[in-house]
Amino acid sequence: MQDTVREDDILLEVRNISLSFGGVTALENISFDIRRGEVRAIIGPNGAGKSSMLNVINGFYHPQEGEIWFDGKLRHHMKPHQVARLGIARTFQNIALFKGMSTLDNLMTGRLINMHANLFSQVAWIGPAQREEIEHRQKVEEIIDFLKIQSIRKTPVGKLPYGMQKRVELGRALAAESKLLLLDEPMAGMNLEEKEDMCRFVLDVNEQFGTTIALIEHDMGVVMDISNRVVVLDYGKKLADSSPDEVRNNPEVIDAYLGVSHD
Amino acid sequence: MTPDILNTIEVILNGLMTGVMYSLVALGFVLIFKASGIFNYAQGVMALFAALTLVGFQTGQIPFSHLINEIFGTHVHNWGPGLNSVLAILLTILVMILFAWLVEKLLLQYLVNQEPIILFMATIGLAFFMEGLGDLMWGADIKTLDVGIPSGGSFWWEDVTRTWVSEGYEYYGMYIDLLDVWAAGIAVLLVTILTLFSQYTKTGRALRAVADDHQAALTVGISLRSIWVIVWSIAGFVALVAGIMWGSKSGVQFSLSLIALKALPVLILGGFTSIPGAIIGGLIIGVGEKLFEFWIGPLVGGATENWFAYVLALFFLMFRPQGLFGERIIERV
Repeated sequence: MQDTVREDDILLEVRNISLSFGGVTALENISFDIRRGEVRAIIGPNGAGKSSMLNVINGFYHPQEGEIWFDGKLRHHMKPHQVARLGIARTFQNIALFKGMSTLDNLMTGRLINMHANLFSQVAWIGPAQREEIEHRQKVEEIIDFLKIQSIRKTPVGKLPYGMQKRVELGRALAAESKLLLLDEPMAGMNLEEKEDMCRFVLDVNEQFGTTIALIEHDMGVVMDISNRVVVLDYGKKLADSSPDEVRNNPEVIDAYLGVSHD
Repeated sequence: MTPDILNTIEVILNGLMTGVMYSLVALGFVLIFKASGIFNYAQGVMALFAALTLVGFQTGQIPFSHLINEIFGTHVHNWGPGLNSVLAILLTILVMILFAWLVEKLLLQYLVNQEPIILFMATIGLAFFMEGLGDLMWGADIKTLDVGIPSGGSFWWEDVTRTWVSEGYEYYGMYIDLLDVWAAGIAVLLVTILTLFSQYTKTGRALRAVADDHQAALTVGISLRSIWVIVWSIAGFVALVAGIMWGSKSGVQFSLSLIALKALPVLILGGFTSIPGAIIGGLIIGVGEKLFEFWIGPLVGGATENWFAYVLALFFLMFRPQGLFGERIIERV
């Protein structure tokens, strides 16, 4: 990673974000950036504001103060579905899939923002709608192959085991072919083997498709292995922002994780 | 076959046809309930309103003519001889889409994330408002609706079934109304199209996605508000089809809005979230009430069709509250 960063290398930048719910401050004056093509980790103890940060980026929460710049443009007040159309896909800590729908349909729904046939041609099932279905189905099949989930293509995802659901959720986010992928604890609750698989997928997505990834993760080993840069949050404040190695040796970060007091 | 068996078959057939009509109304409920969790009490009134509007276009009535005449002292009633059925139906569809858009814009938008009971109350308000609006726009008199669907008994069927009877009996053949047969055919077509649409198109998947999980739907870029407009438009279209069928059968009158109440037991039987459930629930109720009337009716003084469906629904509630096809109610403790 170079030290000098050109302006257009930055995909997303948050500037002085403050977010509070009533009297409770969730985020306080947070600034950091995500560069194109990197894997950026957001870490911190429970309640540090990591998920709040993702929800701000993704448009579920609207910060009282601060600016969000995406792809070189200042982003104004946006609803989550507009953010998605802008090119930001995400997964959730506690999995938000369409449980009654098959794996294939979940992924096809993930591709929705890339499909443009009008309602009339869809109802009549003619020309553009039909072509589009086939074309996007192909793309989805590629993702299914990539994630090795061929065997569960037609299974309703509500019936799948937890680890598989996480994988399908990643697949749905990939299907959007977004510029930025937000992963909220993609490996939470997984066993070692599943974790390793997921790490592999995250790295492959980053390398093969060149997708920029921001992820929240608790497993420090994982974070050190796969991320280029790490931002550390604690009690809604930014504690550190540097390479994984520096973060690991930062005494403040160690204290925050171990709960050591400073007086 | 003896006439007794043939009569029973006739009753079952007519029950199936009536059941399809119930299903049509129930279908509108299921669509909206699935996508937004709203029990739309106004579904029956939507059918009435659609039918009134259709007749209005067909006969060239000027909307609000009574009101206009009162205020300006004029005597306008019609703007012309009226439109042909196809054009009138297309225009009515547009009106129902406009209605869906207005409902979202003026009502749902402000009630997002409210308790179901509040949304339910809002639809009751909507029902009464629309009934009044329909009255004001098109007048309260009973209107005949004819869009060219054949009606009356089928002589062919009478002739065919007359030969089924065993020798030595006198039998005059079965009566089946052509309008009912057409209604059944159109309902089957409608359900098939709706099912295919929701399975194999982008918008169909988006509809299912919203029905499944709002949060997830938002993150893949689905706008809830536009989906609600689409769902209410489809429900409006289904209401129009139901309105045409019931209107052709028994005239367009304000009691049409009460068929919504008949849809309730159908929904309890079939489950509020299942499209096939609405169909099968409708058929069970239709056949059930006709057979009950045929067999038990004479013993209890008749008129059992008024209450049979509700008692059956009550029975179901005791044993299978989620309905035959509804999503299982599982509570984690």
